[in-house]
Amino acid sequence: MRFAQSPIHLLNLGNVSLLICSVGILAAGCSKPSFEANRLAAASFLESQDQQKVDELAGSVGELVEQVFGPPDAPKWPENAPTAVDMAEVERCAGPVGRAYDKVERGLYRKHCVQCHGITGDGAGPAAALLAPYPRDFRRGTFKFKSTSIGSKPLRSDLVKTIEHGLPGTSMPAFGALRNRPEFEKDIESLAEYVVFLAIRGEVERRLLKRAVDSEETPSLEDAKRVAASVAELWVNASANVVEVPLIPDVPPAEYAASVERGKALFTSDQASCFKCHGNEGKGDGVSQDYDEWTKDWTIRVGIDPASKSEWKVMKPFGALKPVVDRSRNFHLGGLRGGSTEQDIVKRIVLGIDGTPMPAITVSETDPNAFNLENVFDLARYVASLTGVKPETEAATDSGTANSAKGAQ
Amino acid sequence: MVNPSDSALASGVNASQSSKVYRWAAFVSCLTFPLIWLGGLVTTHDAGMAVPDWPGTFGYNMFLYPVTTWLFGPFDLLVEHGHRLLASLVGLIAIILCFVARKHEPRRFGRIACWLLLLAIISQGILGGVRVLLDARVVALIHGCCGPLVFALACGIVMINSKDWKTAPKSIESNSLRWSLRILLVLTIVQLIMGAHLRHALPQWKPSLFLSFVHTHLLVAMLITGIIFAVFCTVISPKFRGVTGLRGPAAWLVGLVIIQVCLGVGTWISSYALPWQELNEFFARYTIDGRGFVETMIINGHQATGSLLIAGSLWLLCRVERRYVAAAAYGAVPAQVADATPRSLVR
Ligand code: HEC
Ligand code: HEC
Repeated sequence: MRFAQSPIHLLNLGNVSLLICSVGILAAGCSKPSFEANRLAAASFLESQDQQKVDELAGSVGELVEQVFGPPDAPKWPENAPTAVDMAEVERCAGPVGRAYDKVERGLYRKHCVQCHGITGDGAGPAAALLAPYPRDFRRGTFKFKSTSIGSKPLRSDLVKTIEHGLPGTSMPAFGALRNRPEFEKDIESLAEYVVFLAIRGEVERRLLKRAVDSEETPSLEDAKRVAASVAELWVNASANVVEVPLIPDVPPAEYAASVERGKALFTSDQASCFKCHGNEGKGDGVSQDYDEWTKDWTIRVGIDPASKSEWKVMKPFGALKPVVDRSRNFHLGGLRGGSTEQDIVKRIVLGIDGTPMPAITVSETDPNAFNLENVFDLARYVASLTGVKPETEAATDSGTANSAKGAQ
Repeated sequence: MVNPSDSALASGVNASQSSKVYRWAAFVSCLTFPLIWLGGLVTTHDAGMAVPDWPGTFGYNMFLYPVTTWLFGPFDLLVEHGHRLLASLVGLIAIILCFVARKHEPRRFGRIACWLLLLAIISQGILGGVRVLLDARVVALIHGCCGPLVFALACGIVMINSKDWKTAPKSIESNSLRWSLRILLVLTIVQLIMGAHLRHALPQWKPSLFLSFVHTHLLVAMLITGIIFAVFCTVISPKFRGVTGLRGPAAWLVGLVIIQVCLGVGTWISSYALPWQELNEFFARYTIDGRGFVETMIINGHQATGSLLIAGSLWLLCRVERRYVAAAAYGAVPAQVADATPRSLVR
């Protein structure tokens, strides 16, 4: 449709053998990219590895979701759902890479993200198996580094921050370089929209699968639209779940040392129990190491031991990658993913890391069993001191506090 | 094997005559290399579809597309249109090369090689066009694999017109060296194809397929490195003391393969980071700079050095093939003796 000319007349011009060869490979290896049904979730909800049963369920729900959200080349938004994404930007990110006659660049997601996150946003792009941690599976709707509470949706600004600055120590690149050229300036925001689109689409699919298994009947198109509306609602209201993160004050050097000492004591106390995972010295070698939620969904929750290959192997045909322990961070190496300043660490301690074993702690000035603000600051200063961050430098580079965060529209 | 008519011609070829073909072929090679580099940039920046039409550019005749819109427009357009213009230039010079060869190249296979090169360049151009018209990544992959082969062919023409080809004394009887180099040439080409598959990985590929390409790429890399070092050790060994012209190319190959392995590791790290971030502070803190300049240059450098490795293997292979004497014809003659064999004795 974009090209008025037919390529046919070129055939007789060209080297026929090369063309035959290319057409052969085209036919063999290149079908149009399509959203894949979530067979892993289907198998987990069914608690069955019966290929036919799983394919049947995943296929029928997948078709339903396709009716609501469209194929990868032509995404659409369910009519009755609240507007959670900017569809113009979603369309610009979807589809094949290229610039049409209007000179607008399209296919941003396939250009930058697909080799890791996959067409469907399932975190199983071609390169995924070789990365640790694995790329995010957006379909669960869970994100790690955000300014909202555990279990709620991230803000746009959180996603933009991740895409712009990347995640150190992982394969998630920083795409900040796009800002340097005027024609790519707004690409990061567009990509965040598309991530949200994929996340909503994936979560709707998961919920429908669960519903189908629970009620033992295939959901209708109406059901699908209702579920889509309720998931979209969560994203629209994300900013209601923003957690106020207190600002960490500067302290004079003498007090700083004392604060770090107190933090160290807290870190190894049973009350905070950071040491159980992060180890006594914060080297990430504590006794308790666990899997993340994405892995638990299809292993522990369905009675499969992720540590035993003979057990998890049965899920491989449904697209499961080898389960890998989500190790607690070794602070001595630095490179914290949610940001390395003391303020970022305060935020991490207060909010936890969703989808991982890292808990959020309860801050209260009245409850004697909870932590007070001073405790949190002590902990943060201790952790920051382990990473080698100096207290003077970070007051100036205080990055995202919750207050400056932009709300999701 | 020694081709009688060939060597007869070789001695009869007037040096100034063939140096014309040599110079034009060298010109094509010198332009093809940046063309490959630019083609790599097109891939790194996913600029293949920056221009939606072909052979025109946004409806313009390719050569009349306004220079300012091209140079100061979007970056991907700059790269893609530049790739097209340079490719046209290479095609043009290849045509000239064919005419020069027609006039000055007495050897039939030498002329055929030039025509083949022209055909290859045209096919490659059409393939590039088909890639745009069909917007197919698979065609991009084939286009990417063939580019370095065209470059190798151009280098091959340079080599068969070189002074060395025409004057090299028959002095080697090591069949194993000859076969090692033939295998090396095939492996470097296979390696390039593997690499192109990794670069052009289709979004719908399963992780396991990609994994098998990575494993093959690593295995072939080890084989290539092994062969190159073995070949180097052979040509510097006492057995080859009297043989000239082999150490240079072999040393180049060693240098290139060392650079290439480093660039390969760099390419992986700058595309996917290491999965062992707890290895040390550097990897724990390293964040890939998506679309960063250094990353782009490393990735492109890896690809371009791959082409150079093919050309390098071909270079050494040509030299060895040219010096090769079938042991059967000579019996076990020591190198020095073979060296001294009068040319007239060559059948
Ligand atoms: C080279 C592989 C790779 C590429 C390319 C890549 N990512 Fe990621 N991405 C990852 C990995 C790995 C993670 C998981 C990091 C973790 O769990 O700590 C991730 C995580 C994420 C997250 C989740 C962050 C969170 O808070 O949970 C988002 C959002 C994301 N990526 C978006 C993108 C977008 C948008 C693009 C394209 C512009 C992209 N990624 C390109 C590898 C990649
Ligand atoms: C149940 C185990 C567990 C406990 C208890 C725990 N953590 Fe963690 N923590 C983790 C894991 C796992 C991660 C890495 C999560 C990831 O990125 O996937 C982590 C990451 C972190 C990070 C790094 C975040 C970043 O930006 O990279 C900080 C800081 C942190 N924890 C601090 C603490 C503190 C302080 C405590 C005590 C109040 C604590 N943790 C208790 C498991 C734990």
